[in-house]
Amino acid sequence: MALDLSIIADNAGLFAKGAVATVYISLAAIAAGLLIAFPVALLRLSPRRVMSWPAMAYVELFRNIPFIVMLSLFFYGLPFFGLRLQPMTTGIVALALFGSAYFAEIVRGAILSVPRGQMESARAIGMSYLRALREIIFPQMLRFFIPAATNTSISLVKESAVLATLSVAELTYQGLIVQGQTYAPFEVFLATAAIYWGLTALLAAGFRASERRLGGQGRRGFSSRHRLAARYLSLEPEPRS
Amino acid sequence: MDFSVEAALAALPALLRATGTNIAIAAAAMALALAGGIFLTILRSLKIAPVNLAVGVVISFIRGTPVLIQIFLFYYGLPALGLQLDPLTAGICAIAFNSTIFISEIMRGGLADMDPGPVEAAIALGLKARAIWGKVVIPQLLLRILPPLVNEATIILKGTALLSVITVVELFRTAQQISATTFRPFETMLAAAAIILLLNVLVSQFGGMLERRLAVRRG
Amino acid sequence: MTALPVLSVRGLRKSFGAMTAVAGVDLDVGAGEIVCIIGPSGCGKSTFLRCINYLERPDEGTVRIAGDYIGREPAAAGGTRLQSGRQIDRMRPRVGLVFQQFHLWPHLSALENIARAPIRLRGVDRDEAEAQARRLLARFGLAAKADRMPADLSGGEKQRVAIARALAMKPELMLFDEPTSALDPEVVGDVLRLMKELAEEGMTMVVVTHELGFARKVADRIVFFDAGRIAEMGPPDELIDRPRSERLRLFLSHFQ
Repeated sequence: MALDLSIIADNAGLFAKGAVATVYISLAAIAAGLLIAFPVALLRLSPRRVMSWPAMAYVELFRNIPFIVMLSLFFYGLPFFGLRLQPMTTGIVALALFGSAYFAEIVRGAILSVPRGQMESARAIGMSYLRALREIIFPQMLRFFIPAATNTSISLVKESAVLATLSVAELTYQGLIVQGQTYAPFEVFLATAAIYWGLTALLAAGFRASERRLGGQGRRGFSSRHRLAARYLSLEPEPRS
Repeated sequence: MDFSVEAALAALPALLRATGTNIAIAAAAMALALAGGIFLTILRSLKIAPVNLAVGVVISFIRGTPVLIQIFLFYYGLPALGLQLDPLTAGICAIAFNSTIFISEIMRGGLADMDPGPVEAAIALGLKARAIWGKVVIPQLLLRILPPLVNEATIILKGTALLSVITVVELFRTAQQISATTFRPFETMLAAAAIILLLNVLVSQFGGMLERRLAVRRG
Repeated sequence: MTALPVLSVRGLRKSFGAMTAVAGVDLDVGAGEIVCIIGPSGCGKSTFLRCINYLERPDEGTVRIAGDYIGREPAAAGGTRLQSGRQIDRMRPRVGLVFQQFHLWPHLSALENIARAPIRLRGVDRDEAEAQARRLLARFGLAAKADRMPADLSGGEKQRVAIARALAMKPELMLFDEPTSALDPEVVGDVLRLMKELAEEGMTMVVVTHELGFARKVADRIVFFDAGRIAEMGPPDELIDRPRSERLRLFLSHFQ
């Protein structure tokens, strides 16, 4: 069969609108999620149970309930608390909180990846906990933080597709609309997927650029000393010597 | 409107029954994905340039696009290629395919961290490739990547709820149906969320237990 | 009126779970005095040091720096109460702490490692803080290393920068936690010489160390820590040459 690209061209406007909405939703959720993640991570790291326990429960709740279920919980649940939000806003809030749980675990891991002595030497000289985090710990944890946070950001872009179930007019929803009008699901969903693919690739490229600027190292290759074992243990082509 | 605990409790039996579907889907998808992951990993290890290039594109596509769209492609898109699948089959295939890719990537990382010694010894002993994979590499690899595999299993389990959008009557779909008749969507969804939360925690705990047991055996 | 001791510790206790690390310690250190703490590993001497600036929070007891309480202070109602985090943070710069593993900040140059705290915590302006940092570096023979990153410094250089970093806050008391244990033998002497100079200039110091030679030459008093307590205390010659307890004799015999 041949792909009928005219279907895509004819509906470019809808796809573009959907893509813009997806970018908007994702960026808002990523930004808010990151912001929320820091206090959650710090609470989670607290030696006091009353602080760490709620933070842990928060993280585990969001990580163990499928986003599609979580989203409908927010949609039906927020009105119980007197919050009547637009589906779009509900979606962004849910996605941001969902993301914040994953980001919080990354922040926690990143903080723990910095040797204990760094915090101790900062505190010993008189820095407050927060200042020590800002001046001493955060700059050192970026190397760990950026790659992981990028993966989570990409996940959020992908997860935002679920907002279509609330009829939020983002990319997947527009895809479903176009599909309903054209009955060409293969072309439509391939095109939708391609746009997501482009968006996530863009995010990944941004991350690689920031990592290079921070002087991070690339992925290490398989040592040439073990060329024989590399026949089994490496999936990359053999390095040219 | 007041919160009704009764509504949540009343929905439980039907929801629990529906959860069986999620578990069955997840088990099937995990089994397929594990087999697919091993196959794909061995295929990639052959380092046939055009094959690996194509695999690379597929990996990037699967990692860069929403599972929801992948499910649509399997269910709505494949008929255009002359392959009509029922929702359940299409859903299992979509999730399994997605997971195959992620498991192969997990395996790639696991292989890179493995001790080359035993493999070199096996090669030196003249073992055939089939034996090296089957007796040396794969068993060690699976042991090593058990934690991310358990994590992948929870991701699959969560993914099964997405099949509601292609009309598979699983937990979430059932919750929607119940809500439509009782007009108690929040309570019903809360019950559904609690069930899947519990299930996921159980899987994680079981994974942790398995890990500890294997760690002990390894000494 | 006699001068206040720079450090005054009373009834200090600290346990980790069932393990008692510090089991009730009283210690006064006068201005300009050098006290070396020796003892078997795991005897609580490092924990004791870390309790002094509340890096480790003691379970009981008080610590005063030149008369001012740090960490816990007498409560009006009797007993003691914990100070606020901010109060403790404000006290800490009055005590410099040098770690066995240096703990320089790897993302900052040697100069910035030294200048950062005075700028941020004391409000010293950057030019002045950097000038002070350069003076300290020059004095420690590291003038050429100001812009090096810690990863490009040798162990001995790192420790000297770490000492300069602590001194930049103009502390009234310097604590050293086995400052030479992580160093190559050939550079141990450099760091010890520097500490001796500091001592001669009148800095008050408490040094946890395994360097008995240094302790004998520099210390005014040696404290033998055993099982979380001060088991023996006295001038170096007396303590090292005429140990009273069997435990100390045994401990010293490892160094002969």
